[in-house]
Amino acid sequence: MQRVLMKGNEAIAEGAIRAGCRGFFGYPITPSSEIAEYMARKMPTIGGVFVQAESELAAINMVYGGAATGARVMTASSGPGISLKQEGISFLAEGELPCLIVDICRGGPGLGGIQPSQADYFQATRGGGHGDYYIIVLAPSSAQEMMDLTMLGFELADKHRTPVMLMAEGTLGNLIEPVLVRDEVTEFVDKPWAITGCLGRQPNIVNTLHMPVEQLQTRNQHLTEKYQAIRSQEIRSEEFLTEDADLILVAYGIMARIAKKAVMNARSLGIKTGLIRPITLWPYPYGVVNKIAQTCKAMVSIEISTTGQMIEDIKLATAGKVPIHYIGEIARTPNPEEITQQLLVIAAKEGLI
Amino acid sequence: MARGIVTFSSDRCKACGLCILFCPKQIMGFDKTSINILGYHPVGLIKPEDCNGCGICAMMCPDLVIEVGRE
Repeated sequence: MQRVLMKGNEAIAEGAIRAGCRGFFGYPITPSSEIAEYMARKMPTIGGVFVQAESELAAINMVYGGAATGARVMTASSGPGISLKQEGISFLAEGELPCLIVDICRGGPGLGGIQPSQADYFQATRGGGHGDYYIIVLAPSSAQEMMDLTMLGFELADKHRTPVMLMAEGTLGNLIEPVLVRDEVTEFVDKPWAITGCLGRQPNIVNTLHMPVEQLQTRNQHLTEKYQAIRSQEIRSEEFLTEDADLILVAYGIMARIAKKAVMNARSLGIKTGLIRPITLWPYPYGVVNKIAQTCKAMVSIEISTTGQMIEDIKLATAGKVPIHYIGEIARTPNPEEITQQLLVIAAKEGLI
Repeated sequence: MARGIVTFSSDRCKACGLCILFCPKQIMGFDKTSINILGYHPVGLIKPEDCNGCGICAMMCPDLVIEVGRE
């Protein structure tokens, strides 16, 4: 495997191409634009399709069309663009169309700014659009994972017939790091439901309107069972020095890398600290957090968001077992030393030092 | 010729390989027999006797893993 320097956004685009994605539909927005730029350069040379749509709404509906034909397709945007795409994502979930949606987050609400943020957590993990649905949300923490989780995203999407979102901060999208370029994917799952021209078979229909009561109920029941299957099969997380830890940090994405350094700093100062990094934000690793809550004394959620969003999932997972603290700010990523300082304060409050 | 004594804070090494790339004597490599706390094969000296203590590896290291002294 070749090792090259790549921007996180480029790693996503290259990973998608290597996963067999041959359709990109998007509308540029900082800090995600490099994905579209890379696709615009590459797609025409490999027989793929790149369309800069007239709007985000057009782009997501092009994804709907592309995915309905059974092709691996994707779109990429940032917070404000993802908000515009929500209607389409709801339709994709109901149509059970596999695709990849990349959210390179920036600060909000509204147009916000272009600085990094994790404040799209609720939007990503709670479905975002209307109706009873979830989408799988993957949170990479390095340029390498931008590529790996992109490829995994396409695989999960096809396996479960669901849209998958890759959610990363603007920092990661624009971070240049060495990346081991993965081999091209050559094996794909069959898609007998795809609309490919019905020569010699009954027509396939992809539809999201179910007027009769029973039809809607059956449909939602089917989706609920599918989400249950995803919950039982696809939860991914990483644990770091959690076995003997009193104070557990929970962080994802780039914050997890910074938190890891803070864990090592805090340990050198005598506070037994550990880290849980959810890799799938939905389904959230409730089981892992709950298990560790039985042995630790306090938890800290660290996010690039001022209100705190993932902290609600930690509260759900721990069910009041341990006190939960919050460290967070928007538009900049704190360095490990700053986090260590705040951990010292929290540890003192909890009587851990 | 000066001889270098190199010490590593291996737990901080993320195996980026910059020191290996820039070592003028080409005497550094990953220690494939150990895995550090971060889950990487940390860097080490393959031929410590050939080190002249130039300190370029320490200058290249983004994580301050390497310290070089001279004998």
